[in-house]
Amino acid sequence: MNVLAGFAEQHDIAYPLLSDEGSVVIGRIGMLNDRVFEQHAAYGVAPREQHMGTPYPGVLLLDEQGVVIGRRFQQSYRERETAAGLLEQGFGGHASTHGIEDRAGSAGVSVRAALDSETFRFFQRLWLTVELTVDPGLHIYGRPIPDGYVPLSVEVAPAENMVVGEPVWPETRPFRVEGLDEQFQVYEGTVALALPVTFTARGMSDQTVRVTVRYQACSAADCLMPAALSLELPVRTADLVS
Amino acid sequence: MTTELPPLPVVDFSRIGPALGSRFPDIALPDQNGRTVELHTARAGRRALVVFHRSAAW
Repeated sequence: MNVLAGFAEQHDIAYPLLSDEGSVVIGRIGMLNDRVFEQHAAYGVAPREQHMGTPYPGVLLLDEQGVVIGRRFQQSYRERETAAGLLEQGFGGHASTHGIEDRAGSAGVSVRAALDSETFRFFQRLWLTVELTVDPGLHIYGRPIPDGYVPLSVEVAPAENMVVGEPVWPETRPFRVEGLDEQFQVYEGTVALALPVTFTARGMSDQTVRVTVRYQACSAADCLMPAALSLELPVRTADLVS
Repeated sequence: MTTELPPLPVVDFSRIGPALGSRFPDIALPDQNGRTVELHTARAGRRALVVFHRSAAW
């Protein structure tokens, strides 16, 4: 109990931290991680007895009646999401605070990139959100796309010990230009997509996530020049809990 | 020289823990202040996030 009290005080935690001595409840409700040594082996960690009895680091959302209405697990037991990431990517909610953002734009389109935390920790999963707002009457292209057109793309500059996952793409809308045979998939209005970003080494220095967003905005009549915008999101390293 | 590590095992999480749509079991455990918390009583009719963590000690 001293451990939990100290942890709560150190991190200013007001919600209940429950202690499951002997992992009795963890076992009873089927959360026991019985593959921890296999997972350790994948990271080159030697097995230790204290690792027995740990739960899978899952998160369950209960409704007002106590019924499980959301479950969030990661294959890597190391990977944890930010609170904002859990809420938005895991359970479809909306977080009231976000980390850092940068903005850019071109004629008819504004772009905002944001990370859901100002800091990162070892194996914490941050979400990079890229949001484009396209003026009425314009659209940008998604995929699939005929040759010669520029689809919306988001590229994160590679950095050592930074892993960027596949983006979660929003739905496109089919679009046809009169007089052309080609069928297009387009985005209009506000388009938001999210990519997971994880830093996988201990003791990393502060980082800058560099994002390039490419697209071409068109109306039903004609197209603007293709755009390639650079956005930068500095993120500070946070010490691990010792 | 680098040593090849085995891949991370793929876990079928649909079989782990309380299922979607089921009522979370009744549990009662001590909190950081030494008080026993009965989860569903403590929720007091509100939603709750139950976060499983390995340990606060290491």
